[in-house]
Amino acid sequence: MPRLQELNALETERRRIVDSRQAYTTTVLICSGTGCQASRSPAVIEAFKNQLQSQRLNEKVLVRTTGCHGFCEQGPIMVLEPEGVLYCRVAPEDCREIVSRTIKKGEVLERLLYTDPASGQRIPKEKDIPFYRDQDRSLLSGNRAVDPRSLEDYIAAGGYTALTRVLAGMAPQAVVEEVTASGLRGRGGGGFPTGRKWQECREAPGEEKYVVCNADEGDPGAYMDRCVLEGNPHRVLEGMIIGAFAVGAVRGYIYVRKEYPLAVQHAKLAVQQAREYGFLGENILGSSFSFDVEVARGGGAFVCGESTALMASLEGRVGEPRPKDIHTVQEGLWNKPTLLNNVETWANIPGIITNGAAWFSAKGTAGSKGTKILALTGQVKNTGLVEVPMGTPLRKVIFDIGGGANNGKPIKAVQTGGPSGGCLPVGQFDLPVDFDALAEAGSMVGSGGMVVMDAGTCMVDVAKYFLNFLQDESCGKCVPCRIGVDRLLEIVTDFTEGKGRLEQLDLLEDLAETITETSLCGLGKTAPNPVLSTLRYFREEYLAHILEKRCPAGVCKALIQYAVDQEKCTGCGDCQRACPHGAIKGRKEEPRLIDSAKCQKCGLCFSECTFNAITVA
Amino acid sequence: MVQYVTLRIDGSIVKAAKGSSVLDAAIQYGICIPHLCHMPLLEDIGACRLCIVEQVGNGKSKITTSCTLRVQEGMVIQAHSEKVRRLRRNIAELLVAQAPNSRAIQDMAVRCGVKEVRYPFRNADCVLCGRCVRYCRGLAGAQSLGFVGRGKDRHVAHALELRDLCKHCGFCTANCPMSITPCAGPMAKGEEHLCGGCEAQLQITQGMEDQCVWCELGKGFDCSRHLGQ
Ligand SMILES: Cc1cc2nc3c(=O)[nH]c(=O)nc-3n(C[C@H](O)[C@H](O)[C@H](O)COP(=O)(O)O)c2cc1C
Ligand code: SF4
Ligand code: FES
Repeated sequence: MPRLQELNALETERRRIVDSRQAYTTTVLICSGTGCQASRSPAVIEAFKNQLQSQRLNEKVLVRTTGCHGFCEQGPIMVLEPEGVLYCRVAPEDCREIVSRTIKKGEVLERLLYTDPASGQRIPKEKDIPFYRDQDRSLLSGNRAVDPRSLEDYIAAGGYTALTRVLAGMAPQAVVEEVTASGLRGRGGGGFPTGRKWQECREAPGEEKYVVCNADEGDPGAYMDRCVLEGNPHRVLEGMIIGAFAVGAVRGYIYVRKEYPLAVQHAKLAVQQAREYGFLGENILGSSFSFDVEVARGGGAFVCGESTALMASLEGRVGEPRPKDIHTVQEGLWNKPTLLNNVETWANIPGIITNGAAWFSAKGTAGSKGTKILALTGQVKNTGLVEVPMGTPLRKVIFDIGGGANNGKPIKAVQTGGPSGGCLPVGQFDLPVDFDALAEAGSMVGSGGMVVMDAGTCMVDVAKYFLNFLQDESCGKCVPCRIGVDRLLEIVTDFTEGKGRLEQLDLLEDLAETITETSLCGLGKTAPNPVLSTLRYFREEYLAHILEKRCPAGVCKALIQYAVDQEKCTGCGDCQRACPHGAIKGRKEEPRLIDSAKCQKCGLCFSECTFNAITVA
Repeated sequence: MVQYVTLRIDGSIVKAAKGSSVLDAAIQYGICIPHLCHMPLLEDIGACRLCIVEQVGNGKSKITTSCTLRVQEGMVIQAHSEKVRRLRRNIAELLVAQAPNSRAIQDMAVRCGVKEVRYPFRNADCVLCGRCVRYCRGLAGAQSLGFVGRGKDRHVAHALELRDLCKHCGFCTANCPMSITPCAGPMAKGEEHLCGGCEAQLQITQGMEDQCVWCELGKGFDCSRHLGQ
């Protein structure tokens, strides 16, 4: 394809692509994101294509290998359009029947349908599945429309029209104002007003400016940025080109976590295609605007996602944060004004330009607009990527979309915002997904992580887990974070080991404030959140650990005792055989006994017993 | 021509060269802000966080380190507000609990008002202020020392094991806050404590408002005001 030399050429090209696809009666979407690739989707794609060939349907059926649909636990996922039938956990062996029965005869294969765990019913259509039904997939639906390796798909779906609109007659300042009016706030964690950042960068003096896309995504459990960049790279790129035009940048970087090989690959391919088509490079689409993008692989540390550390890493230095008394919009990469936004933030830009700021700000709350992608995990029935309008209550996400508790125990709390977010109890589940509301409640929206916890979770143990992660990932440069967080961990560990003293609770709060107020970067500033929020909502659990040396959830090993309920024990001896430490004694057919001196509290007997005769206290 | 700006630090009107740091400006006017990682002529990295101040403006206040904060016209700085003192004391407490065998750090703790240490002592032999690393890379131009590792594992080491880059200038040890042991000698393991021996001297100087502690406390580990003389 030659470079598009003028703005009108895009529409002509789009028509050509759409026309060339008129002959297809069915489109089959097969997910080939990182999650589904792990569950063998490449083999399914190959088998499916072979079946189309041998059943002579390859001219009628278009197969599109798409990026992630966010429902990875059911993968590989296949959707048949236009009917919208969804098959999950498709195996290569299923392909023959899918072609011969579903495509040829319109029969639905019951066994491949999704079973709703709540009602036990099989649901044929994608749009009726509860997991999808209550979502607003403004961003994620883009992943269904394109093969991430195909620029033609993106153009056919209306891609790059926002860019042409901008180049055709919007002044850079007007672009900034549109973004400001939309009310978009950064999706990378901080929720900083995007328009304001653009305005500041636009006004910053200097000829040479940069834009950066932050795809470092270090939060454990989060993968929305991967999903968007991997599944729809041109959308992110289009957002960046528009941003570069608005602030007057000459060069852009996409900084991708190195653990995301597919995202790196797709981003690189997208950049190359965009150059060939003339969306990047000199005189974009025949205009006087020139801009180019490079893809860089991240350093692999959590802290490299922090804006100043990321820039240091891009410059080839060690990825450590620096003080931000001067903002990066003024002095960023190589001390030049730099506009850095998160993947999801960039991906929202084309929609705002195409549909207008009012369309975007119609969704959401007073202070948080648009939709947000959340990574729902933990003890709920449906896990995966969930996109909802800002303002959606947590309860709806967890119970309606997530389907509620998955193993019988009642849900107790949700941890939102990634490792430095906070834990909110069920009593707070009416809180909306809203930057300010969650921050006020002691947690945050963050990058959108959402871990649901049930009654089997010890909140002190949760705090310990996140502190451990954070002190491990601290870069170690500044005292409050390096030493302070480690001391927090030391104290919380004392609690879980039954060595806690009441006055340590005051120390914990005092130290937490010092760390929040005085740390150099956002990692340290937010690191006490897991402790503070659990302390705020689950203080009685802390007190049980400290005063009674008891772990109410039965998790903290040092504080629990396994015993055999003599009434319930049938003397089957399963536990005795399971115990690797020889701690269980008793004669055949008689109730067993646990020797607490030998017991290592591994819990194997507990999971082995069929009669619920092992007690934890 | 050097341009000057005027700002307020702890109520005093201070004139400082544009581009200089709030810490430098304060020291020049005899306002002592405790600091550890800062050293004249070296790049400031904001690591120890002892030099924190409260920047007041627009009805808000923000805690930030004065060594990395550049002076600005009309700036209002509180270097010794109630809040700053409390936070600074907590940081000094973390440091002295980490490295009780440094006279410099013991002195610093006393100056920052640490009266008790609420953590078990550790006996680290480095607090990662990075003076040596920055001296080596900056003034000595030797690139021999660097930071290695992350979080708790962070430590100073010869970069890439290239010991022969060292020019043996010795400034790294001369400027190391760990190199002078407390008056009564090194503390045995398990017997670390807050020595607090110099507290009496401190009380004399505390009466003098807005005065740097021209004390003997930092003997061997001069506060940068001495270095300037
Ligand atoms: C420790 C730490 C890690 C971070 N990691 C990420 C990340 O992985 N991805 C990201 O987009 N932002 C991350 N951020 C936030 C960035 O510093 C920055 O605020 C954000 O990318 C700005 O983009 P936005 O305004 O579009 O959100 C991190 C911040 C901190 C303090
Ligand atoms: S707060 Fe933590 S991660 Fe940030 S600079 Fe300080 S030590 Fe490094
Ligand atoms: S002297 Fe400013 S942070 Fe150490």
